[in-house]
Amino acid sequence: MTDALVEALAAEIPRVNGEPVFAEPWQARALGMGVVTLRALDVGVVEWRDALAAAIARHPFDAAEPAATAYYTAWVAALEGVVASRDAA
Amino acid sequence: MSHDHDHDHDHDHGHGHGHDHGHDDHHRPRPVSAIELRTQALEALLVAKGLVSTDAVDAVIDYYATDVGPQNGARVIARAWSDPAYRRRLFADGSRAIAELGFGGEEGHTMVACENTPSVHNVIVCTLCSCYPWPVLGLPPSWYKSLPYRARVVTEPRAVLSEFGLELADDVEIRVWDSTAEVRYLVVPMRPAGTEAMDEDALATLVTRDSMIGTGRALAPAAT
Repeated sequence: MTDALVEALAAEIPRVNGEPVFAEPWQARALGMGVVTLRALDVGVVEWRDALAAAIARHPFDAAEPAATAYYTAWVAALEGVVASRDAA
Repeated sequence: MSHDHDHDHDHDHGHGHGHDHGHDDHHRPRPVSAIELRTQALEALLVAKGLVSTDAVDAVIDYYATDVGPQNGARVIARAWSDPAYRRRLFADGSRAIAELGFGGEEGHTMVACENTPSVHNVIVCTLCSCYPWPVLGLPPSWYKSLPYRARVVTEPRAVLSEFGLELADDVEIRVWDSTAEVRYLVVPMRPAGTEAMDEDALATLVTRDSMIGTGRALAPAAT
């Protein structure tokens, strides 16, 4: 499963000492369904990165929120947006 | 990790959803958060659309959780084997040479390349925890994080390497490098014999994760 998309995303997800960090199990599911969906919809890394960056920018900062929770909350929002944008087809 | 709003009608969290409580969830020990429900709904939608299957999602999760792979490190080693100038840069400033290939990043820290020669064999460990050069090697194998490896590779490296199937002659010096939060090591294995005609891509396939940790050698080219 080592394709360019998986590698590119792997470099960017929250980690501690190299290990991906999930504050709660839904975050791992969000990552997994995101990768599968991006592949199925043929969404490129650049488009995805832009969507995710925009979602992160929209996510309100909360110092008490775990970084992984903030990241994957934005991840879900970005994924919803990408799916909706392809929904016309 | 845990959401501590076990109590009904706790309005202190500023969710802004008015009366939009999950009425069925009031008595669960761990309330399902709004984002968790949203994630479940999205997965259900994607499954219904035929875009994802639960198995495919599980496979991706498993991949990220267990093995991102040492392919980045293999490319560094293959370049060092092929390009003498790159090899010099790698040993002079590991972080910079590795960054030349686009690897590194926030947790890359200072990278130091350790050169295996006929008379010196290097092996890496993190005796305190599990510091690991993950930008080049992916995720650490479970044994790397195990207490026996961390303790024994320091006190009896030759025996530990032998258990990995790596027998070293008595006159080979073994250097054990203890990784820290600041400095991560990468072993540069010796280039196998019979690979003179191979290009970098082919060479990279011979570079195993264990050979860059120092618990193995690079693979010999397949006889053709």
